[in-house]
Amino acid sequence: MSQTDIPVIELKNVNKHFGDLHVLQDISLRVKKGEVVVIIGPSGSGKSTLCRTINRLETIDSGEILIEGEPVPQEGKKLAELRSRIGMVFQSFNLFAHMSILDNVTLAPVDVLKKSRKEAQAEAMVLLERVGVADQAYKVPDQLSGGQQQRAAIARALAMHPKAMLFDEPTSALDPEMIGEVLNVMTELASEGMTMLIVTHEMNFARQVADRVIFMDGGKIVEENTPEEFFEHPASERAQNFLSTIRDH
Amino acid sequence: MSIQALLTEYGDKYLQALLTTWRLTAVSFAAAFLIGIVITVLRVCPVRPLRLFGDFYVQIFRNIPGAALLILLVYALPYLQIVFPYDVCVMIATILIPSAFCSEHLMSGMNTISPGQIEAARALGLTFFQMIRRIIIPQALRSTVLPMTNLLVATMLTTSLASQVPMRPHDLTGIVSYINTRAAGGVTAFVISAVLYCATALVIGRVGSLIDRKVRILR
Amino acid sequence: MTNGSIRDMLYETPGPKARKRIRCFTVLAILLLAGLLALVIRQFAVTGQFAEKYWSFFTRVTTWRFLGEGLLTTLKAALTGSAIAFALGFLLMRGKIRRNRVLNAVSTALIEFTRGVPTLLFIYFFFLVVPKTGWKPSAFWKITLPCAISACGVVAEALRSGVNAVPKGQTEAALSLGLTETRLFYKVIFPQAFRFVIPSLIAELVIVLKDTTFAYIVTCADLMQNAKVLISNYDAMLSVYLVVAVIYILINYILNKISDRLALKLRRTQAEVKKA
Repeated sequence: MSQTDIPVIELKNVNKHFGDLHVLQDISLRVKKGEVVVIIGPSGSGKSTLCRTINRLETIDSGEILIEGEPVPQEGKKLAELRSRIGMVFQSFNLFAHMSILDNVTLAPVDVLKKSRKEAQAEAMVLLERVGVADQAYKVPDQLSGGQQQRAAIARALAMHPKAMLFDEPTSALDPEMIGEVLNVMTELASEGMTMLIVTHEMNFARQVADRVIFMDGGKIVEENTPEEFFEHPASERAQNFLSTIRDH
Repeated sequence: MSIQALLTEYGDKYLQALLTTWRLTAVSFAAAFLIGIVITVLRVCPVRPLRLFGDFYVQIFRNIPGAALLILLVYALPYLQIVFPYDVCVMIATILIPSAFCSEHLMSGMNTISPGQIEAARALGLTFFQMIRRIIIPQALRSTVLPMTNLLVATMLTTSLASQVPMRPHDLTGIVSYINTRAAGGVTAFVISAVLYCATALVIGRVGSLIDRKVRILR
Repeated sequence: MTNGSIRDMLYETPGPKARKRIRCFTVLAILLLAGLLALVIRQFAVTGQFAEKYWSFFTRVTTWRFLGEGLLTTLKAALTGSAIAFALGFLLMRGKIRRNRVLNAVSTALIEFTRGVPTLLFIYFFFLVVPKTGWKPSAFWKITLPCAISACGVVAEALRSGVNAVPKGQTEAALSLGLTETRLFYKVIFPQAFRFVIPSLIAELVIVLKDTTFAYIVTCADLMQNAKVLISNYDAMLSVYLVVAVIYILINYILNKISDRLALKLRRTQAEVKKA
């Protein structure tokens, strides 16, 4: 098997319970290098939890999670090291409130990748330029709009040169007029070949950008297909119901 | 007695009393702060018995009246053959009680941090200690400046307990009853002490506000 | 998920090595704490403090009734003091927020004065100076009034922050309905402000209660004083003072818990209102 054949992210028969609730039921999926996989589904379907198990923000009860063929470490330095290779963007941005945007982006490269401040800052400015918030570099997060904060958060994740990026409902907390600017950044990332796993409600975005769409409901993966196939001819009844409720809005 | 007379006769004693109160306050607050940090660390660590102990400690010392604690230390402990000199008893009380409140303030300070930032720090690959040093402590300390300022003033007020035991030199409260048993100090004696207390409190408050304004995170 | 407080989120779900370490430390901690407790008990035993004569009178109803009377006086003093503190604090708060400059200055000065002076100083004032002026209040008032005065500044500030927390929209709505400023304050703003500050008022009640323990200075027959009588009767200083301390701690603990719970409920309803 050549390097490009090992999936960047692989889940094998993953199960998780929250108390009595079986939130992840026998989940298996693979994300290849450069692939953009979008997970959609109704709330409570477990899609966010799935996303968060990949870098062990949530633990699993059984099954395997492999990053580039290696199982995710359970704790300690190895886990931190793995997390530094996977970028994550959160629904509520989670920028560090007491630091400027620039410091937010340079914190991890300096502390974890041991880069010099100068080098990290230079790279950070390039990234902030790329996502369009370079002029906000010296402000604190509270001074930025939601869309700007999320784009800064994406830059923060990119600063670690991740092998893959996880997006947990990145636009769900944004006002409608700011969703576009964030989706544009994500679309560009995808076209540059970044491996991405995105949990979202944005159907049009999924249609345009995804290589594969995964539909989850009740903790299970119900359907998995190309965007064209899934949106035009959803195979399962649950997917059909879901899509019709989305369309009616 | 007029202010002139009082000050000429007892002026230096008042100064001594003021310095005593300041000394007690500063030392007690410093010690209480350190203990408060230790207790807070216990209260958030993953070892359950230590957490419970920390919580228990806080509940005891934030709810016990200062007088009750002092009386226990001075009169009751000797029956267990533990005898501390008077000033040590006062210090124990003026340190332990504020330390409980200090821990409460530190916990509230930590709670001003949105939990998502912890997850973000983890997701970036920061180790536990890196997270504490770079994310938690800076934010927690900044939010506790005003509560800690109030705690410093409260500690100063608690040091008035020194007046309840035969301690020399007197503190600002003890000096008043000392003067009043020797001369008809009247209201003036009180006013001088009260003004000195107030002035100290105001200065502390002012400095605290300034520091807070400088370090406060925009919210 | 991301809903817990920092305290729960600080340590993530431990992996196998971490779990072992935690278990190890848990055992060590239990041993350490048990050891400390054992030391304390040993000291009690060695000095003979477990002897029957020091504890047997606690089985008698008369003992508890006597303590109960003292406790009643303590509670009366605390509640009365708090009520007076509330009244005074309310006046001071009004003085501070009204538009009269002189009133503002005087109120602020009084508030800062009562907040910056220890209660003990006020108590000594009532004990040493007031009787000489010809007004001779009873021991009860000699402890209640100074505690009230000491607390009214804090109450005033708490009430003021409550008033400031009432959304400005309320004032505008009331004014547009034609209410006068005074009516507006008493019928619209203050009731809401009051609900906001109930937790801090209960917390202040705890502080007043703690201050009343100095009643022995003015020889008022509160819980501490009655304890002293018991002590001289049975020569049991340690046991009695311990029991009394525990009583105070329990009462204050309960009051603080009530205050915390109310504060939590308030924050929740406020968050819901904000969402709407």
